Amino acid sequence: MKIAFTPDWFLGTDVLIEIFSFAVLLIFFILCVRSYKLTKNKSTVYLGAGFLAIALAEIFTILTKLILFYDTTFTQEIGHMIITYHVVKSVDIFYYLGFFLHKIFTLLGFYIIYKIPSKKGTTEDYIIGACFIIIAAAFSQVFYYVFHITILVLLGLIIYNYSKIYKKNKLETTKILLVAFWILAVSHLLLCLSTLQIVYVFGQVLQLVSYLTLLILIIGIRKYGKEKSKKRHNL
Amino acid sequence: MEKKRARNDIIFDILSIIQEKRGKIKPTHLMYKANLSHVQMKKYLEELERNSLVKKNLGMIEITQKGREFFLKYQQMREFEKTFGL
Repeated sequence: MKIAFTPDWFLGTDVLIEIFSFAVLLIFFILCVRSYKLTKNKSTVYLGAGFLAIALAEIFTILTKLILFYDTTFTQEIGHMIITYHVVKSVDIFYYLGFFLHKIFTLLGFYIIYKIPSKKGTTEDYIIGACFIIIAAAFSQVFYYVFHITILVLLGLIIYNYSKIYKKNKLETTKILLVAFWILAVSHLLLCLSTLQIVYVFGQVLQLVSYLTLLILIIGIRKYGKEKSKKRHNL
Repeated sequence: MEKKRARNDIIFDILSIIQEKRGKIKPTHLMYKANLSHVQMKKYLEELERNSLVKKNLGMIEITQKGREFFLKYQQMREFEKTFGL
């Protein structure tokens, strides 16, 4: 049975990339919670919810891939037609459910991140947004590229929002954030062509680079805060 | 019209001003620099003292180690929020 579009030689490595992505997203969620505790800015809660949703999505895909990998191996070891059939059936259901949840949560996370800077969403907007996410995730089960195209659209809007923010604040950290989102957008553009295995691998590697950039951003924020504090102290 | 400063912003400003003055400042200077009334400053200083972020020493207001750590964390979180335009 085929596990997504991962070439056999890349199995395991892609899970490692997803574990790394999950860790970075979790750090962002923790930062949002800490930030809210200190500054009481509600927008940080929404941003945290966005990162948490994407982190959960990564967990779903990691678990699905790991269990699928284990189940497939188990089937080969038994080598019995009837038992194999049942195992594959259960794997099928798990496959669809796991990846469906991955898509729903990823779309939800990026939708929340896109919505934060606008701060003018109505209940109707959110209902339409939720419907749009469910429909996109459902269609993606049949046409895999619908998911990546939808993410690409959301990332395009996020990049547009943060470009406006960067024009205003001219912060190095916002620039790094923009670069990370651009790399992630390119990775989803490549993942639209996942049927070509090598393109899928490049897409995954770019996802890793994007999350590495986000990790650099976290280090940058911590370092910048420390430097500013030192400068004040030495004045 | 200038936006009214939030409580946390005022606390951050007070700590920042004390830091700028090498960790200690006269109360009158702080009041002037933080743009606060006497009543407001008294209220905020009481809160900061209660939380061991500052202490009074020989008529001066000093930032404590806990105060410095809080200031650093707050600074980082503000940087984080600014990055995302929050």
